Amino acid sequence: MLEIQNLTKIYEDGTLALDDVSFTVEDGEFLVVIGLSGSGKSTLLRCINRLVEPTSGRVIWDGEDITAASQEELRKIRRQIGMIFQQFNLVKRSSVMTNVLSGRLGYVNPWLSLAHQFPREERERAMHNLELVGIAGKAQNRADELSGGQQQRVGIARALMQNPKLMLADEPVASLDPATSHSVLKYIEHLNRDQGVTVLCSLHFLSLARRYGTRIIALKAGQIVFDGLPEEIDDHRFKEIYGEEAVQVEVR
Amino acid sequence: MVDEKDIAEETDPNRSPALASLLSLIVPGAGQLYLGERSRGLSFLGAAVILVGLLTWLDMSLLYIGLLPFWLWNAWDARQQAQGRQPSFVLGFVLIAVVVYAIGWQVTEISVLKLVEGVPRIQPVVASLLKPDVVTRDVEVMEAIHIFESPCSGSPPAVAQPKVDAPYLITEPTCADVDETITVRGGNFPPSRTGELWWENPIGQASRLRARGEFVNFETDAQGQFSQQIAVPDVVPESGQHGPQIHEIKPRVSTPVGSPHASETFWLVVRRVGETIAQALMATTLGILLAVPVSFFSARNLMAVNPVGTAVYYVTRTLLNILRSVEPLIMAIVFVVWVGLGPFAGVLALVAHSIAALGKLYSEAIESIDPGPIEAVSATGANRAQVVVYAVLPQVLPPFVAFSIYRWDINVRMSTILGFVGGGGIGFLLQQWIRLSDYNEAGTAIWAIAIVVTILDYASAQVRERIV
Repeated sequence: MLEIQNLTKIYEDGTLALDDVSFTVEDGEFLVVIGLSGSGKSTLLRCINRLVEPTSGRVIWDGEDITAASQEELRKIRRQIGMIFQQFNLVKRSSVMTNVLSGRLGYVNPWLSLAHQFPREERERAMHNLELVGIAGKAQNRADELSGGQQQRVGIARALMQNPKLMLADEPVASLDPATSHSVLKYIEHLNRDQGVTVLCSLHFLSLARRYGTRIIALKAGQIVFDGLPEEIDDHRFKEIYGEEAVQVEVR
Repeated sequence: MVDEKDIAEETDPNRSPALASLLSLIVPGAGQLYLGERSRGLSFLGAAVILVGLLTWLDMSLLYIGLLPFWLWNAWDARQQAQGRQPSFVLGFVLIAVVVYAIGWQVTEISVLKLVEGVPRIQPVVASLLKPDVVTRDVEVMEAIHIFESPCSGSPPAVAQPKVDAPYLITEPTCADVDETITVRGGNFPPSRTGELWWENPIGQASRLRARGEFVNFETDAQGQFSQQIAVPDVVPESGQHGPQIHEIKPRVSTPVGSPHASETFWLVVRRVGETIAQALMATTLGILLAVPVSFFSARNLMAVNPVGTAVYYVTRTLLNILRSVEPLIMAIVFVVWVGLGPFAGVLALVAHSIAALGKLYSEAIESIDPGPIEAVSATGANRAQVVVYAVLPQVLPPFVAFSIYRWDINVRMSTILGFVGGGGIGFLLQQWIRLSDYNEAGTAIWAIAIVVTILDYASAQVRERIV
């Protein structure tokens, strides 16, 4: 169970990105976070694994206070939280295999890993995960030789290396076309349904949020303006979240 | 807004176009100033003052005429301004530029005529440069010695007899005064060859015989004999005051023997080119080792996180910029004074310049890395060292390697000229040979530089292409 308590983030330039946000995520949920650009979605996800340090408030996961963890404890916690990104964040010049293996860095011998030495079972695990996302044949290619959708699948394979109990997905399909978006989200859905991984996923399109989410949170100017089931978002709610001038766009 | 101002100027009775243009005609810009166009007026005035001052100081009074179009244009501009128009500044700029370029032409003494006139002088130099001294053959010299008296005494040397088994020379007569014509006959030389005639005066100074400025040669026939008329040269200073003296005439035939082999010059050049490459290697390696830490201090994204770091960043950047603006040739002069003549001074000069140049390029490579992968690898629970190895190095290493190879390239090129100021390498030989007018040798050095630089250029381009 993930508990967010009174989370606030004020950036150095004074921007209030999160304003006293509190909610709870039960294990096995597929929670979608929606909201306009700049509404605080990315900051919220990054505060959970402390890629961004929250200004105040607490994040408690399985009874452990992430916000109070030391650097060493934080590394142990991060190992169990996978993350995928809008821009995939692969090392473009490294091979797909190296990118995937880097997901295991928190578990392996740190000294050997600095010399790019990984045990055989880790390499097998990497191949297995690449097979799961359907690009085992690209293992030796440079990451930047792959298409956007393939790169995001490498990103998922990298996160899978962590055997995550929680997956943070920061607009994972915002750089992809609709068809590819669905295939990537289906992998995440598969993780959620068949392996019981809790998912926190920010999305732009309400249609995608309705299709994949078991629950939706909407952020506006750093505050939660909606927390409920996908089918509860009617036209009135929609305008509340996205503003009066917004029009719903379907992604099929 | 602009329109209102224009109308105001047009209707203002105090702004007379005639007065404005007259003022500008007397002092450029004055009319514009009178009209309240301060920046325009001041720049015209400034341009006129600077140009007139320059022309006077450089004593180029003829070019005052060149200023006339600008002067007139500026008066016309004042008139236009007074009538509320804003003529484009471009024409005035062009008119000023014409004068500036005319001054520049004069100052740099550009002369097409000289370029044409100098062609005969440069031709032999270019010809020599194109015939580098690379291959040579050993030479066997066959020489005869004949005694000759000049001027004649009462008892001239006896007429010599042709030898049977050695080259010989016989003159008729055996004595003569300066400028008198004598006949020389020789034999037992190699057949059908060209030989030189050398004349040695009584104190042992030998010189090649000349007639009307040209060297006198002889051609042997099929039997190895020749016969030729020559004039007795004036080889003794104030010859009239001395009595009869004995001279030696030495006909010489040189025969190349053995197979062609590399000349002495060639080996000298190879040695110095090797020294040049070694200089570049040492300078590049030391430069890289020192530039890497410096580059971290001058990378904004790493340093500008707190006030101290920001200060270090600015200080390092400034020092690098100053260091980079000093030419290695000038640095070499300083280091020659410091550590003495030789390749070490050259290496130091190149190291200093490499640190400055690489430090900047490296730090820019660090500044342009994508923070995304760092975020992603950190999120997996990797420690700091792992983040550097997996997210930072793969992004930074290829540009580092590419810049380093490029630098090695530049260092080879630069070390070829450091010898000109005593910094060692091939440049030292090249400069010496040019001063001595040994253009064949200089040509060898130039060819060597061209070949080495081209090969390294090509090789480094290939390597860089593979990496980046």
